[in-house]
Amino acid sequence: MKNLMTIFMAEFKKSHFLYFHTNMIYFSLLVWPIILFFSAYYSFKPFDTKSENVLSEYVSNQEIGSFLLIGYLGYIFYFSLMQSAFQMAPERARGTLELIFLSPVSRLAVIYGRAMANLLEGVWLFFVFTVLGLFFFGDIQPHNWWGIPLSLFLLIISAVVWGGFLNAIFLFSRDAGFFFLIIQEPLLLFSGVRIPIPVLPIWGKFISYLFPLSYVLLIYREIVMRGASLFEVSTMIYSLLVVIIVFILLTSWIIRKAEKNSKINGSMALY
Amino acid sequence: MIKVEQVYKTYINKHRNFLFFSETRQTEAVCGVDLYVNPGEIVGLLGMNGAGKTTLIKMMSTLLSPTSGTITIDGMDVVKDALKVKSIVNMIAGGERMLYFRLTGRQNLEYFGNLYGLRGSLLKDRINYLLSKVGLEKAADTPVERYSKGMKQRLQIARGLINDPKYLFLDEPTLGLDVSVAKRLREFVQELVHREGKGIVLTSHYLEEIEELCDRVYIANNGRIIMHDTPKNLVFNITHGNVLNIVVPEINDKLNNNLRTLIELHNANIEISSNEEGILISIKSKKDITTEVVQTIYNSNVNLISLYIEKPKLEDAILQLENGVA
Amino acid sequence: MFLTIQATFRRNYLVMRHSLPYTSIIGSLLSGFYMILFSYLIYKIMFNGKLDDSFIKYTGSSDYITFAVLGSTVYILSISVLLIVSRSLISELRQGTLETIFLSPASRQGYFLGCMLQGLMLVGIEFIGILVMGFFFGLDITNINPISASITLVLIIFSFYSQALVLGAIMVWFRDTYITQNTLITLMGLISGVSFPIEYLPDWLQYLSKIMPLTFGLVAFRETIMLGGELVSSFESISYLIMLTTCYFLIGKYLLIKVEKNILEKITE
Ligand SMILES: Nc1ncnc2c1ncn2[C@@H]1O[C@H](COP(=O)(O)OP(=O)(O)OP(=O)(O)O)[C@@H](O)[C@H]1O
Ligand SMILES: [Mg+2]
Repeated sequence: MKNLMTIFMAEFKKSHFLYFHTNMIYFSLLVWPIILFFSAYYSFKPFDTKSENVLSEYVSNQEIGSFLLIGYLGYIFYFSLMQSAFQMAPERARGTLELIFLSPVSRLAVIYGRAMANLLEGVWLFFVFTVLGLFFFGDIQPHNWWGIPLSLFLLIISAVVWGGFLNAIFLFSRDAGFFFLIIQEPLLLFSGVRIPIPVLPIWGKFISYLFPLSYVLLIYREIVMRGASLFEVSTMIYSLLVVIIVFILLTSWIIRKAEKNSKINGSMALY
Repeated sequence: MIKVEQVYKTYINKHRNFLFFSETRQTEAVCGVDLYVNPGEIVGLLGMNGAGKTTLIKMMSTLLSPTSGTITIDGMDVVKDALKVKSIVNMIAGGERMLYFRLTGRQNLEYFGNLYGLRGSLLKDRINYLLSKVGLEKAADTPVERYSKGMKQRLQIARGLINDPKYLFLDEPTLGLDVSVAKRLREFVQELVHREGKGIVLTSHYLEEIEELCDRVYIANNGRIIMHDTPKNLVFNITHGNVLNIVVPEINDKLNNNLRTLIELHNANIEISSNEEGILISIKSKKDITTEVVQTIYNSNVNLISLYIEKPKLEDAILQLENGVA
Repeated sequence: MFLTIQATFRRNYLVMRHSLPYTSIIGSLLSGFYMILFSYLIYKIMFNGKLDDSFIKYTGSSDYITFAVLGSTVYILSISVLLIVSRSLISELRQGTLETIFLSPASRQGYFLGCMLQGLMLVGIEFIGILVMGFFFGLDITNINPISASITLVLIIFSFYSQALVLGAIMVWFRDTYITQNTLITLMGLISGVSFPIEYLPDWLQYLSKIMPLTFGLVAFRETIMLGGELVSSFESISYLIMLTTCYFLIGKYLLIKVEKNILEKITE
C-alpha cells in the first residue's frame, strides 16, 4: 500500500511537470470539450422538443442542456485519461518506458498511479467546465442530493480503471489516432453521453454495456434525475463492479502480455 | 557472479508489407555465448556494430529473455527471478535518451528512485550523494533539456546507481562525450569497482577505454564470442604494436645506418616513402621505441618535421580477427 | 509549375503506394459513420422523426437525414483536404526536408497543388464511401442537379485548399499541429452548419461562421442536391465562397512568404 502511494505520488509529480504546464491541456480538457458540448447541444435544436419523446422521461425539454452537461462531464473524465494514455508514445520513444520495465516496480501500480494522477491533475478543469455549465443551464432539480457524491465516486473509480486499461493498450500500439477512433468515438456515442442508453437499439445497448461510463451515467440519471432509490439501482451498481473487475483483469493480462512480448522482440509495440 | 551459459537470442519480427499480409524475419543476434563476471571486476564487451553487445546486455539486465540458454545473477535466473534480479542490477546506455527532459535532474532521480521503492530521507540522501558524486549539485534543479550532453550522461550514471546495484551494465556510456568528461567518467567507474566492489559490464567502441578500465575483455562478432583475454594480451596478440611515423626533410647516411641498427635491435619493420612534407619513415614495432628513434634522428643532425604514433585501432584488430576467423 | 505539381504528385503517390494509409481512410470512414449514426439515432429514435418547424423554415426542406449526411460528408472532406495540404509543410519540417524545398525555385503553389491532387485520390474514396453509407441511412439525392453539384464541389475543394494554406503557415510558424488543427476542426463542427442550420446559433457565433468557407460551401452544396438548385439559385453563397477562397488564398500566400523567410533565416543563423 505504501509502495502504491509512492508510485502514485511519483507519477503525479512526473505528469505534473511533464504535461500540465503546457497549453495543450487547456485546449484538450477545456476548450475542445466546451465546443463539442455546444455542438451536441445545438444538434438537438432542429427537432420537435415540444411534444412527448423518449427524452422527456428523464428530463423536461428545458433541461436538455443539463442532461448533456452531466454526460459531457463524465465524458471529459474519460477523455482526460485517453489524453494521458497518449503520453505512452513519448515514453516509449524516449526510452524511459524501458527503464520503468527495468525496475522491479509493480506494473499495475505504475499504470493506475498514472491514471489516478492524471485524473486529479485535470480535475479542476472539469470543475471550471461544470460551473460554467451550471451558470448557463442552471436548472438542475436533483431528486436525491446524495446521488451526486455517490455518482462522482463511481465516476472517479471507473475512470481510473478505464485509464489504466487505455495506458495498457498504449503500451502495445503506436497508432494512437486509430484507438481514438475505435474507442473514444464509440464511447461518446454509446455510453449515454448524448443519447440516453434506453433509446439505443439492441446492438447499441450491447456496445454501451462495454463502457463503465454507461453505468455511471445511468446510475446518476436514475438517482438524481428520476429519484430512484439505492435499491432500484443496485443491480446496475453490481454490474458496474463486475465490469470494473473485468477491466482490471484485462489490464493486468495486457501488461503481462506486453512485457513478455517486449522480452521476445525487443520492442513493446505489437504493430 | 553473473553467469551466461550457452545463450542464444533470435529476434523474430513481423514486417507488414501490404494491407494485412506480413512476413516474419529472424535475426540471430546472439549465438551460444558463455561468459562470467565477478563482483569487483570490469568486463569489457567489444565488437563491431551489430555484434550483439546490446542484446547481450539487455538479456543480462532482464529486459530481454534469451531464446535458449541460461543467465544467472548471484544464482538467480534472469527469467524466473526477474523481479529479484532487477533490484540488484541497473543499466546505463549512452546517448541522450532515457531521461525526462522537462523534469530537473533531481526530479528525474526522485522518480526513478521511487520505482525502486526508495522514498523519504533515505532517497533524498541517496540523491544528494549521487549528485555530488557526478558533480551535478549545481545543476540539480535545472530542467534536463538545458543540460549539455556530458551533464545528461552524468545524470544517467546517477540514475543507474540509484538503487545501489551490485551489477551495472554500461552500454557505450562515453558515446559522444568530450575527452575530459569521458576521462572523469572512467575514473568514477573505476572507483565504483575498486571501492564499492560492483561488477561492471562495459561495451565501448574505444579501445583505449577498454584498455584502461577492463580486467578482462570479450570480443564478439556476429553474435559469437571469438576471444576472451586481458586487454594487454589481446592488443598484443591481435595487432603488431604501434606504428611510429616520422617526417624528415632528408635522410643522410648516418641516420640511415643508425636507424637500421635500431630496427634490427628491436626486431621492427621500417618503410620509407615520401609525402608532400618530406620523407616519411614508418616504423612498426611491438615495443614503443619512440624515444630511441627521436634520439637517433637528433644525433644524426637531421631536423624532425613531424612525428605521430598510430596506436592499433580496435576496428583494425577486429577486422583482422574477422578475416582470421573467416 | 506543372512540373512541380507533377513531381510532388508522383513523390507522394509513391509514398502512398509504399505504405497505404489505410488507418487514415478507415478513420475518416468511421468518423463519418459515427456522425451519421448520431444524427440518425437522435432524429429517428429519440425524437420519433419529428422536426421542429424552424428547421423547415431555415433549410427549405424537411429531409433531415440528407441534410445531416451531406453535412458530415463535406465536413470530413474539409478536414481531409485541410490536413493533407497544411500538414505537408510541417511534415517536411520534421523530416528536415523543408529547407531544401524553400531553397529550391520550385513553385510553392505547384507543390501544394501536387500534394492536394494526390491526396484527393484517397479523399475521393472516403467521400464516396461516406455517401454510400449515407444511402443506408436514407440519403436522398433524387432532386440533384448534377452539373451545379459538381461545380460547387470543385469550388468547395479549392476553398478548403486556400484555407489550408493559411492553416499550414500558422502551423509552421508555431511549430504546432495538434492544437491548431483540432481547435479549427472542432470549431468548424460547431459553427459551420454541419449538423444543424447555423440560424440556431447566437448571433456572434453566426458572424464567426461567416469566415468559414465550409459554411457557404454547405449551403450551396445542399441547395444543389436537396433542392436541385441551379448555380444561380445559390448565387449568394457561391459568390461568398469565391470571395472567401480568394481572401484565404492571398493571405495564405502572404503568410507563407513570411514563414519561408523566417525559416530560412533560422537556417543561416
Ligand atoms: N528489436 C530488434 N529486433 C530485431 N532485430 C534486432 C533488434 N535489436 C537488435 N537487432 C539485431 O540484432 C543484431 C545485434 O544487435 P545489437 O544491438 O545487439 O548489436 P550491438 O553489438 O549492440 O551493435 P552496436 O555496436 O551498433 O550498438 C543486429 O543485427 C540487429 O540488427
Ligand atoms: Mg549497441
